[in-house]
Amino acid sequence: MDPEQLDEFVMGYLKKKGFNGAAKQLQEALHNNNNNNGTGSSSSFNSTDYHNDPELTKLIRSFSQSENDPTRYRNGYSNLRSWAYNSLDLYKHELLRVMYPVFIHCYMDLVGKGHTQEARAFFNSFRKDHEMIHLRDLQKLEGVLVPSHLEEMEFARSLRQSKVNIKICQYSYDLLLQYLHRTESTLMLGIINEHINFQVYSGQPNSSSDDIDAVTIVGSFQETADHVNQKEIQWGLLEDSLEDRLEKTGSLLTDSEKGQGESKDGDVDDSNKKRSTEIGKQGSSLKKLKKDKAGNATAKVARQETSTVSPAPRVKSELALPVMSTDVEESILEDLRNRVQLSSVAMPSVSFYTFVNTHNGLNCASISHDGSLVAGGFSDSSIKVWDMAKIGQAGSGALQGESDTNDQVAGPNSRRNYTLLLGHSGPVYSATFSPPGDFVLSSSADTTIRLWSTQLNANLVCYKGHNYPVWDVQFSPFGHYFASCSHDRTARIWSMDRVQPLRIMAGHLSDVDCVQWHPNCNYIATGSSDKTVRLWDVQTGECVRIFIGHRSMVLSLAMSPDGRYMASGDEDGTIMMWDLSTARCITPLMGHNSCVWSLSYSGEGSLLASGSADCTVKLWDVTSSTKLTKAEEKNGNSNRLRSLRTFPTKSTPVHALRFSRRNLLFAAGAISKPTS
Amino acid sequence: MSIVPKETIEVIAQSIGITNLSPEAALMLAPDVEYRVREIMQEAIKCMRHSKRTTLTASDVDGALNLRNLEPIYGFASGGPIRFRKAIGHRDLFYTDDREVDFKDVIEAPLPKAPLDTDIVCHWLAIEGVQPAIPENAPLEVIRAPAENQIYQQKDGPLIDIRLPVKHVLSKELQLYFQKIAELTMSKSNPSLFKEALVSLASDSGLHPLVPYFTNFIADEVSRGLNDFLLLSNLMHVVRSLLQNPHIHIEPYLHQLMPSVVTCLVSRKLGNRFADNHWELRDFTANLVALICKRFGNTYITLQSRLTKTLVNALLDPKKALTQHYGAIQGLAALGHNVVRLLVLPNLEPYLSLLEPELDAEKQKNQMKSYETWRVYGALLRAAGLCIHDRLKIFPYLPSPSPSFLNKGKGKIINTEPNKRKLSVDSSSTMQVDKPMGDDNPPQNSVQPSSSGQASDGAPESRNAKEKEGSKGRAITMKAILDQVWKNDLDSGRLLVKLHQLYGDRILPFIPSTEMSLFL
Repeated sequence: MDPEQLDEFVMGYLKKKGFNGAAKQLQEALHNNNNNNGTGSSSSFNSTDYHNDPELTKLIRSFSQSENDPTRYRNGYSNLRSWAYNSLDLYKHELLRVMYPVFIHCYMDLVGKGHTQEARAFFNSFRKDHEMIHLRDLQKLEGVLVPSHLEEMEFARSLRQSKVNIKICQYSYDLLLQYLHRTESTLMLGIINEHINFQVYSGQPNSSSDDIDAVTIVGSFQETADHVNQKEIQWGLLEDSLEDRLEKTGSLLTDSEKGQGESKDGDVDDSNKKRSTEIGKQGSSLKKLKKDKAGNATAKVARQETSTVSPAPRVKSELALPVMSTDVEESILEDLRNRVQLSSVAMPSVSFYTFVNTHNGLNCASISHDGSLVAGGFSDSSIKVWDMAKIGQAGSGALQGESDTNDQVAGPNSRRNYTLLLGHSGPVYSATFSPPGDFVLSSSADTTIRLWSTQLNANLVCYKGHNYPVWDVQFSPFGHYFASCSHDRTARIWSMDRVQPLRIMAGHLSDVDCVQWHPNCNYIATGSSDKTVRLWDVQTGECVRIFIGHRSMVLSLAMSPDGRYMASGDEDGTIMMWDLSTARCITPLMGHNSCVWSLSYSGEGSLLASGSADCTVKLWDVTSSTKLTKAEEKNGNSNRLRSLRTFPTKSTPVHALRFSRRNLLFAAGAISKPTS
Repeated sequence: MSIVPKETIEVIAQSIGITNLSPEAALMLAPDVEYRVREIMQEAIKCMRHSKRTTLTASDVDGALNLRNLEPIYGFASGGPIRFRKAIGHRDLFYTDDREVDFKDVIEAPLPKAPLDTDIVCHWLAIEGVQPAIPENAPLEVIRAPAENQIYQQKDGPLIDIRLPVKHVLSKELQLYFQKIAELTMSKSNPSLFKEALVSLASDSGLHPLVPYFTNFIADEVSRGLNDFLLLSNLMHVVRSLLQNPHIHIEPYLHQLMPSVVTCLVSRKLGNRFADNHWELRDFTANLVALICKRFGNTYITLQSRLTKTLVNALLDPKKALTQHYGAIQGLAALGHNVVRLLVLPNLEPYLSLLEPELDAEKQKNQMKSYETWRVYGALLRAAGLCIHDRLKIFPYLPSPSPSFLNKGKGKIINTEPNKRKLSVDSSSTMQVDKPMGDDNPPQNSVQPSSSGQASDGAPESRNAKEKEGSKGRAITMKAILDQVWKNDLDSGRLLVKLHQLYGDRILPFIPSTEMSLFL
């Protein structure tokens, strides 16, 4: 090669890579060299260095070639691919992991250099290899055809800027490097060096080929996620929760029964009275009794805690929680007392609310905590609330008058048996009932959230803050506070009495699609189209956990009642159970074959119900899945054992699920006419 | 290159008034158009997901355009599929069919029916983990689910707590359905509607809760309405439809249902009028009984034995009426040739000897009685004949008989009498050629008494005596021939011989022609 041409290449390369200083120096050196040539004095250090080294010349030439020959990508990749596929079975899966990042970067390089046609051809010939795992990403990337799209598209940008972490064993790594050097495929080597960060470990290759970390390209936030997940979280339940109180009163009841024994009814009344006074912090006349009971209660709790395997720790609430009225509390306690204990042998009853004649307009459904109220959000901006208790007792005279007045509010002429709430100006995407069922919150494409009273059947407040459609809104477990999430990639915390959000949680890389409160109210979880679930501290607004593992957008979330676990369902029908403290997926629950719209834990957390677009409600045994040791998981067939029951509906996708406090499962969905 | 062709860009440019778009520009724009379209579709899919749907609609695309602060495309939200047409003369140009509508027509058209208002229907998807078989639930696992549950419960026996009896609540729709069916069964005035009802009973998935009511209804009506032939016939049809329904789990109610069915088979009197064709009803019921035994014989092992015991008892009791005997014979015959061979044939000889005097026209003055006797005789003949037919069919030596003849013969013998006669003509005429001895009887007479006996009661009695003689004469020769031929299958041979002794030539039509030609 002509030395001058070579100089030019080197110069061009340096400039292209941004080493401007080096380029300048080289130029000066060359200049000096040229000047000094006539005098015949000492030659330049630089030029001798690379002109005389044939290896280096070859390398430089290959760099120059890569600039203008798009077929090199195809050849290089297909060689690497066939080598990887023909490698030893033991190391094959590790080597194949390398293929995906190389593939997408080859493609993006081709696009970036303007070889649109070659890029498309390259993409189409090899996309089959990766479709199974990375289908969504490929669909996104497929549209990228000109360099400007690479700049514009966030996903592509983040891929370009970040390195992929791949765990690989020492031997596989050596194999790969040897191959790359032997075949002088510098192009592939360059891509691998530029975009893959190998974490080489000694010993045998990892046998689990479906290691989630390995197959997900998460962009730049893998490290952030690792960092974030180090933070401490208090996943315990609130102190002095109603369950605790129930245990206390339960012990009270038994104690007093032991003591007196003769009149049971009077006893119950008596203890009820005592409880109410205890809660209301009044009734000094019974103070002495109360103290006795407190002693008993703690003893009882202590006993219980020793008996159970690992009781949930108690934490303090960081929010000022609303004070619950006594009769609400009474009714909740009554429900808790009547709760049916569910397990893998004691299945719940499922009551299904089918929406008929929705004309494809039902966007969301929500069921109140006791199952008596059902709300539907429609694409025509309306919200309709049904009082199922009233429909059930339509014949009884006492309630007749009440429903008449309701009708007058809704419209004097209509004989409809629901309450129509009008106010939104766009499709309603979500509705949620406050725990006592006296309020409904709704979120809509018109970027607002509205608060409705089910007693007045009127709109009370309109919360404006999001800039894009609000996908989801959820009341906190104790009411008053609520969380919303939106297309604007934020989740927000609100309280009912303020029209401005209290906290804004930003960090997701795409739409935030669903939101759920932790039972202790100190955290919210958000699921996003960026395929991650995040946990946020409500008080500080910080992200405290990032859960990576889903392969498509996250559509539903549920928190276990003990606050330890979280379940998330995605577009593909996969449900993942997460351990909040470690941010690890316990096991994916496979079974649905379409979007999981809704998830719900039973009252004591032993069962998980999932509702899906494949027209089934499934019940999962989550106690066994959490108890499983790692060794058992590796045996494989545990997945099937965990799906307890499948209830197919009659072509009705399941939009909403809720376990009532008494552990009756309510489900709702709109019947879809089978398309013939 | 881009999936959007250059031509499309040019067409779009023209449509918005840019006429001088250079080809290079179009080529450059194409990939970008594709990218934007994909971007919009991606957003539209998000909107679709949040509307909890799995099909993309035009409104989702509008929503996506809104997200990008773009003007939505109007005119596509009507819901119906949009039909694109090819522009004539252009290869890649399509347009939507947009008809011109006369304003007057629109105004004068009657208002369309108001769409039904949204409502909520509530039902139990599952009760303590078991899906009830109600119309609201998918019929997928209706039959399997309870069985599974039983096994499950047995396994965890000690864990199961005792449950209070569940009150059986019937939905209003089901109640109406039951009433309607009951009405139709009783009324007999609308046979076409009743037929529809039977089809519905045989196919509807959610009828399981009604089964106890139906069994009760059938039992009541059968015991009450023994004089009402049409009612009984309708009821039996209902039973058959219920048995045919794949979604109904009828097994637990069989013990309630069987007595009614058996009653319709072997009752002394069904219907009170002379014209009532109770024979037909008995035949139908016999098939029904056979169907039940076939379907539930495996689960109820005692079912068939109990049934055959009842029937044999009815048959062998000489005090019982001939109609009852007829029913019993038909029932046994329907249960298959093995039952006939084991239970009917051994009793054939004594029974026929009992029947013989009645058959004689001279002795029997009562025409009705004589008719009944011939009916019973015919039924016995048919049962025995089918039995021997079956034996011969499996006879190992023979080439398989021509199936067409078999089917034809069997079917027609069962159903229609005139054909029976015709068949016998066919088969006997082939016999005639080979017969060593001349026959003084015209062959078509061989079955005639039984057939014409039921068609009209008058004529054939006179022939009987003559017939008997002829058949006896033939029997001797037949015996000799058959004994020779069937040395190596003595059992079948004997059976046939015995039958032949008893029946004479009347049994011959049941013997497949191929065999016949082989043996004779």
